[in-house]
Amino acid sequence: MKNFFIFLIFSTSIGGNLGAAEAGMPQLDPKYWASQAFWLIIIFSSIYILMAKIFIPKIKDNLDARENKIRKDLEEAKTFKEEAEKKLKTYQDLIENAKLESKKILSDNRQRLNEDIQTKKVKMQKEIEKEIIAAENEVKKFKSESGKKIINISEDIVSYLLKDIFGEDGNQSSIKATVSEVLKRETEK
Amino acid sequence: MATNPMHQFKVHRIGPEIEISGVDLSFTNASLFMLISAALLALLLLLGTREKKLIPNKAQLLSEMLYNFIAKMISDTAGKKAKPYFPFIFSLFIFILFCNMVGMLPYSFTVTSHIIVTLTFAIFIFIGVTILGFIMHGFKYLKIFVPSGVPIVLLPIISIIEIISYLSRPISLSVRLFANMMAGHTMLKVFGGFVISLGLIGGWLPLTFSVALTGLEILVAFLQAYVFAILTCIYLNDALNLHH
Repeated sequence: MKNFFIFLIFSTSIGGNLGAAEAGMPQLDPKYWASQAFWLIIIFSSIYILMAKIFIPKIKDNLDARENKIRKDLEEAKTFKEEAEKKLKTYQDLIENAKLESKKILSDNRQRLNEDIQTKKVKMQKEIEKEIIAAENEVKKFKSESGKKIINISEDIVSYLLKDIFGEDGNQSSIKATVSEVLKRETEK
Repeated sequence: MATNPMHQFKVHRIGPEIEISGVDLSFTNASLFMLISAALLALLLLLGTREKKLIPNKAQLLSEMLYNFIAKMISDTAGKKAKPYFPFIFSLFIFILFCNMVGMLPYSFTVTSHIIVTLTFAIFIFIGVTILGFIMHGFKYLKIFVPSGVPIVLLPIISIIEIISYLSRPISLSVRLFANMMAGHTMLKVFGGFVISLGLIGGWLPLTFSVALTGLEILVAFLQAYVFAILTCIYLNDALNLHH
């Protein structure tokens, strides 16, 4: 608007210098008004038809196509993401299951091993006890046998000594009694 | 002659004289520049719609931006009902924009700096919108002159003001564009004349002004096309969605 006032002041100041026919604004000369309006209507109508029938539908189609493509891509991305999440979940489940299973296997094995060790221990103990009993028996047997042997040897020695000293065999039964008596006394002591 | 700042607005005949039933309809320089503007915008849109690329090239991007710009403007001001008038608003905006921009080229002619051109547009819009209003709402369209919530005493005065403002729409619409264009181009011409007359010593200041004004005028060229289109949308909105 400011421009317009400046122009008005300016044009009135120089208006005097202009010729009468060209005075003021050529815009107000009606000579070519009809022509301008006529050509404007023709040209603008053709532009309107061009726009409405060709260009705008084309641009709209393209924009719609792009929007559809973006939407489709986004949807696809969403499904892919969901799928990936599902896969991740199954994978996590798998790992969880594997962990549980391995734990179970571990504990099972431990238990079995423990049981095994326990049974083996028991068996071993039994065997050891058996061995001990056998050894004790053997010792006992040996002990009793050794007593008899000692008696026999003592009797032999006594009879031999008697023969050697007195030159005659002693009475066997008396020797036996004597030896046993001496042994008894010795063991009692 | 060259120093007369109004000379640039002179219309002269090009080619043969065309006269239909006593009316001179000759092809003039104004018609030529209308045609050039129309051809340029058709070329831009042709380049912009030639290829359907997912990632647009420059021309395609420009035409799509124009489309989105106008579509947003219409939906913001006139709502969904104005969709059938999208091609008209679109053509109107880009035609005025291109006429204004072509007018910015040196030695060219500014089509929109002629009152008859802008008035033709404005009267067409005015009549079209009025007819549309009566088609959409019948005689209820007259309610546009009776704002609601006004005291009865004031109603006659308000109605008269409303009627005057409604009837002055085509004048304000056309004069706004025409005056802006003419004033801007006259200023440019005047400052251009000063550069020549003041010569090498004193011409630098008006030259600086001239450069600054050119920038301003390019802005005004865009802005006035936008204002013309958006006011058309607002008038359309009044006719389509009657509310007061």
